[in-house]
Formats: sequence, structure tokens, C-alpha cells
Amino acid sequence: MTEHDTSAHDDHGHHGNLGLFTTIFIALCVLTALSFASFHAFHSTPKVSWLVMMAISCVKAMLVILFFMHLKWEANWKYVLTFPALLMSFFLLVMLIPDVGWRGDHISRERALHMAVPAVHGKAHGHDEAEQGHEGHGNTHPEEQHHDAHEESAH
Amino acid sequence: MSEEGHSHHLELEYHPGLPLPNGKLFMWLFLSTEIMFFAGLLGAYIVLRFGAPVWPAPHDVHLVEFWGAINTFFLICSSVTIVFALEMAKRGASAAAKGWLLLTLILGTIFLGIKAYEYSSKFSHGIYPSKPRSRMHERADVNYLSAVGERLQALQSEIEGSVGEGQELSETGRQRLQLVKRLQTGLVQWAASTAALNDDPVAKQQALDNVAYVIYRGHRSAADEKYMQEETAALAQQQAKLTKQKSQLTARPDAEGEDAAVAAEQAKAVTAQLALVNSRAEVLPELQEAHELGLNEQYPWLKLPMVIAGGNMWASTYFLTTGFHAIHVLVGLITFLILLMPHIQFGPHNAGVIENVGLYWHFVDLVWIFLFPLLYLF
Repeated sequence: MTEHDTSAHDDHGHHGNLGLFTTIFIALCVLTALSFASFHAFHSTPKVSWLVMMAISCVKAMLVILFFMHLKWEANWKYVLTFPALLMSFFLLVMLIPDVGWRGDHISRERALHMAVPAVHGKAHGHDEAEQGHEGHGNTHPEEQHHDAHEESAH
Repeated sequence: MSEEGHSHHLELEYHPGLPLPNGKLFMWLFLSTEIMFFAGLLGAYIVLRFGAPVWPAPHDVHLVEFWGAINTFFLICSSVTIVFALEMAKRGASAAAKGWLLLTLILGTIFLGIKAYEYSSKFSHGIYPSKPRSRMHERADVNYLSAVGERLQALQSEIEGSVGEGQELSETGRQRLQLVKRLQTGLVQWAASTAALNDDPVAKQQALDNVAYVIYRGHRSAADEKYMQEETAALAQQQAKLTKQKSQLTARPDAEGEDAAVAAEQAKAVTAQLALVNSRAEVLPELQEAHELGLNEQYPWLKLPMVIAGGNMWASTYFLTTGFHAIHVLVGLITFLILLMPHIQFGPHNAGVIENVGLYWHFVDLVWIFLFPLLYLF
């Protein structure tokens, strides 16, 4: 262990640079501002903005991992300890997006029946309104009776 | 072999495991489990967020992008200060290292403070991860309408019960009670009767949607605004029609026997309907006055149930992911506090401790780097 401690001190020189860390810090701030800007710049095309923001986040994450967490200067054990976990989380997310994330793009009638009311500007609006009418009949049953009573009295 | 090595004065040292200190190895193994832990949480968010038919816009749920961005900034700052603390410790400058540690602690505390402020602004608007505290409903249906009615009923008995026998209500109490009673008829009963009397399912739904709309303006709805604008004229028309009907029915002194009984019954129904229309007309200016904000914002004490489609799922994922992240921040802050104890002196011999704590802290920063765009900007 002591041997490695001293070797760590040997390469102190090329990563003990406070200027480098300050540069990384500024880069991170600029990238945060960029992802904030992309939210407004691509407001009408959210998917483009999502892609840009995730790309920026990945770049930020790499900067933090490589420089702040010193992985740039570590020995090869870094791959052993980080790759399995990273791969598993990457595949988890990548598999969830098409499988579950995109399932709403094509809504079956069955599903449309059971989903929440979309906002007026929400997607699948036309779909839902027809369904609501349907449900309205079932739900307002007690009032419907009242309605009949009223009609009788009016005629 | 060993003899040969000996003759060349070669001393080999046996190293078990990976070539890094045990503490650092532990921290990296721990972090790799943490990566998967947060990947699971983010995965749950993706399933629920993108699999949901509707998801509230940040504005609907009082999520302010600005605070998220500011918090990101503070966390990045704290990440760089802990790096400086490590560098100072490696150089043997204990006081400087502790100064940077203290700054990290302060920045992390600011992060948590802003987070707490954000949470409280959700709570104060009735946005909680679960019932019964959460006042969010998914859709404006009869269940929602009855929940609004129940809340108004509870408010009425609360205000009436706040004074003892023979005591007078205060001025605000009286005004509140009046408003509650006006809403009970002009908002809830009116919507129930409009929905029941209409054969058109779209009109039925419009009446219920309007209740949700006047209570909470999550999003601007052109249809609801038009409905509100045209309602004054429509109500006046109805009032005129019903008044005429009523006068026709009551002005039949010649009617006798069964005819008279039918006429009286009809007159009663028309009178009831007219009273309801009148109560709606009475409360309508108030509803239109709360136009920009919604009743819940205009009168915060009302705390009426509101419709935020997808809001419950949003709250569950938001509080779960940011909550676990906040717990991690808290753990980091506690370790900083421990390291700042006065008897600890930092130097090259124990810089590894700061390095390990720093690795953890950077990971917390990493998680936020992904959480911020996913939660605030997506």
C-alpha cells in the first residue's frame, strides 16, 4: 500500500493543478446554462431539446468523473469497478424507453378508456373526449334520474 | 524462483486485490451500487413519465426552473470546493483544507435549504405524494365534484363551529361563510345540475371542467375562458326565460283540481331552477374576478381539491427521486461536519479520507446533473 501511496504522490504533479479544476468548474457552469437555454430554444420541439439536454448532461457527467473524481489518472482498475454498473444502468434505461416510454404513442381504445383526462392542449385529446362522454353517462346516474323527474314536471 | 530472486536482490511484495487503498476501493464499490440504485429510480421515472398519457407542465405543479438551475450551480460549486480541499490536504495545508471543507458544507446546506423551500411551496399548494394530504385529482368527474362539495361543507361547519353559542362571527368569518355558501350553490350545485340536465356529453363534461378551471388555473384553457365569457349572457337569457315561465304558471287562477296541482308542481320546479340560476349569476363575478389565479390562489384558506391531470404520478416520482437525492446530500453534510471537528489535522497522511468523501460528494453532484434536466426541463 505504501508503495502506491508514494506513486500517487508522484503523479501529484500533473493533476494537482488548481487552474485545471477551475476551468472544469467554469465549463460545468456554462454547460448548465446551455441546457437551460436549450429548454427555451427548442421549446416547440421538445424531443430535440431532450436530446440536447441529455447530451449536455452526459458531457457534464464525464467532466466530473474524469477530472473531479480523478478517473482520468487512475490505473485500469477503474474499468473493473465502473463498467459493470454503468452498463447495467445504461441498458436498463435504454430498454425502458422504447418498451415503456413510447407505448403512449399509439393508444389502444382499451387504454384510452382507462387513462386520465388529458389537458385540453394534451395529446390524444380527441380520443378522450369521446370516451368521457361515454363515462359521463355511467357516472351521473343518480342525477340522471333527477333529470327525468324534472322533464316530467316540465311537460 | 525465490532463491533466484534473492540472488538478484529483488524483493517482491504481495498485493492482494486491486492496487488502491481499501477505503477508496470500498467507496468505488459502494458508488457502483449507487449508480444502479439511481438508475433504477430514473428508470421508474422514465416508465411513469413517458408511459403516462398526460404529464403536468412544470408551471402546473409550481416547479420553478430557475430554482433548479440555481441549485445546480451551488452543487457544482460545492464539487469544486471539495476538490480544492483535497489538494490543500495533499499539500499539508490543514487550515486551508478545512476552510474549503467548510465552504463545501455551506454550499451543500444552501442546496438543501432551497430544496426545502421548493418542497414547502408544493406542500402549501396541496401537492403531496399521496392522499389524504394531496388535493390533486386526475380528472374533473362526479367524484371530483363531490370532493369539492365535501370540502365546502367541512369549511362551513368549521367556520360555524369556531364561535360558541350566542357569539357573533368576526367580520372575516362572516365573509368567508358567505363565500362558502355562495360556492356551494353557485359552483357545486350549479355544475351538478347543469351536468345532469344536459343531454350532450361534451356539455356535461364542460360543466365539470369549468369547476376545476375556476378553482385551479394550471393551464390556460381557451375553451374554458370562452365558456366563462359567454356565461353572463347565457345566464341572463335563462333568467328571463324562467321568470317568464314562472309568471305564466302562477298567473292561472282559473285552473282547478288536478290541473292546479300540476301547475303548482311545475311552478315549484321552475322556482327552484330560477333560484339556482340566480345563485350562479350571483357568484359568477367572483369567479371571473379570480380569473387570473383561480379560487385556490385568490382565497388560500379555501384549500379546495384541484384537477392536475397526471399530477399524482408527477408528485410520486418528483418526491421519490429528489427525496433520495436530498438524503444523500444530508449524509454528505454530516460527514463534512465530522471532518471539521477541531482535533482533526489534515495532511498527506490522511488526505485519502477527503478523497473518499469527495468521491461520494461528486457522485451526489452527478445524480443531480441528470435529475435537473429530467425533472425541471423535460
